[in-house]
Amino acid sequence: MNSEAERFLDVSDLEPPEPLVRALAAVDLLEEGQYLHMRHRREPCLLYSNLDQQGFSHLTSASAGGFDVFVWREDDSAAKQAAHAAAGKSAEG
Amino acid sequence: MNPATALSLEQTPPLLVPLRFFLTAPLFVVVAAGLLLWAGPAALGSRWTPSILAITHFITLGFLAMTMVGAVQQLLPILMASPVPRPRLVSTAVHLMFTAGTLLLGVGMLTNQAELFAGAVALLVPGVLVFAAVVAYCLSHARSSHATISAMALATTSLVVTAGIGLVLAAGYGLESFHLPRNLTDLHLVWGVFGWVGLLVVGVAYQVVPMFQITPNYPAIVMRWLPRLLFVALLLWSAGQLLPVSYRALMLLGGGVLGGGYIGFAVITLLLQQRRRRRLSDVSVNFWRLALVSLLLAMLLWGAEGFAPVHRNELLFGVMLIVGFAMSVVSGMLYKIVPFLVWLHLNNHLQATGCWAVKIPNMKQILPQRRSHWQFWLQFAAFLLMLAAVVWPEPLTRVAAACLLAAFLLLWWNLLDGVRIYLRYTRHPDG
Repeated sequence: MNSEAERFLDVSDLEPPEPLVRALAAVDLLEEGQYLHMRHRREPCLLYSNLDQQGFSHLTSASAGGFDVFVWREDDSAAKQAAHAAAGKSAEG
Repeated sequence: MNPATALSLEQTPPLLVPLRFFLTAPLFVVVAAGLLLWAGPAALGSRWTPSILAITHFITLGFLAMTMVGAVQQLLPILMASPVPRPRLVSTAVHLMFTAGTLLLGVGMLTNQAELFAGAVALLVPGVLVFAAVVAYCLSHARSSHATISAMALATTSLVVTAGIGLVLAAGYGLESFHLPRNLTDLHLVWGVFGWVGLLVVGVAYQVVPMFQITPNYPAIVMRWLPRLLFVALLLWSAGQLLPVSYRALMLLGGGVLGGGYIGFAVITLLLQQRRRRRLSDVSVNFWRLALVSLLLAMLLWGAEGFAPVHRNELLFGVMLIVGFAMSVVSGMLYKIVPFLVWLHLNNHLQATGCWAVKIPNMKQILPQRRSHWQFWLQFAAFLLMLAAVVWPEPLTRVAAACLLAAFLLLWWNLLDGVRIYLRYTRHPDG
């Protein structure tokens, strides 16, 4: 995993709607080649429609411990590649 | 569906659909408390005085059912991804029938006028039936299955049973030729409190306790079986109550399972709350704890009476269950659901208008925190004073009534703050 490319955000301890608010604030700060890796105890479905509308793509990997959501700007192919690689590792882990 | 998976929040109905119920409900407690203030200690003579009957129905129908019917219309679409058809029309019609029907019923009980009972029945029966039909429609179109959904279905069935028994009782009041079957009042009360209110609280707790209080989930076996067990226990208790005396054992068995089931629910929820990930002061959690402890005490009192209809401590039992348990849990839910819905609709509104740069106020900014805590303590004090007033009516009834009135006026005012914020941001998004 490229730590330069990843911005990690753990929202597992937050009550709604704080996870969504923090995720939207975090994706706003993503630079070229960077993706957001968000960890949550529930699947953040409302976040998806917000991301779609604001021009971000996302990928979710579910495990017994919760959900790992990866978000990148839809026109950033380097970030997309890095996010997919990280999501694959997360699913294996 | 795993409880940690998604809610279909995009299916949320217009804000006014649930909000009109939430904003009307506290005013019925204000009316009930005003009536107790006017009637004074004589009202607490027994559970049969006209004043206490009117007060009870202003609270159970006007506050509890009003809030819960509004909440179900909000929760059904997002839990089942199955929207209520014509949500605005359904909500306007049901709200109107419940509001006008409850007022007529309460005044009918106070003045014993047959025409008012007839008017109340003509409004409340279609109100309950339209609501039950909407629940049935959404269930048949459900695209997910969840323990909350089956609990809601059983709770709504219990509401129909409660209303059916209520209809017979109203006929007993309204028609001189009809003998009032008084033993049915215990069935009416048990189906209303342990069926409609209790099962819905259990089902909704499966969602809101882990989600908003950041606790572990309820054990899967409890989620799956507890609502069904409680419903079967209700049937057994009712059979024991209706059948000849030789079947009394059924009532003991049903009552024991009901008491044990609700004690189990209260203990599990309190233990889950002990495992909250963040132990921040939260007015909603305070209300839940007050409600669960009241439920525990009420069930122990009922056990001491042998799970039979309570006659010795009937008012004490009623205050514990209705004021201590049901009203507290509903107030606690209002303090989460109203700010969350205001936030959700503001977020949807800003998304639809493309104003992403506007910062929406957070949950704690939508409802005033300090005033909410004040309101909790006022409502807690009103509950303790109501309990004390049952034992010492002469000096305490009016003090308890005044405290209850102040508590629910403040709850209403606090909820209105959420609406003010919504209107301010939708009209002037810059704040």
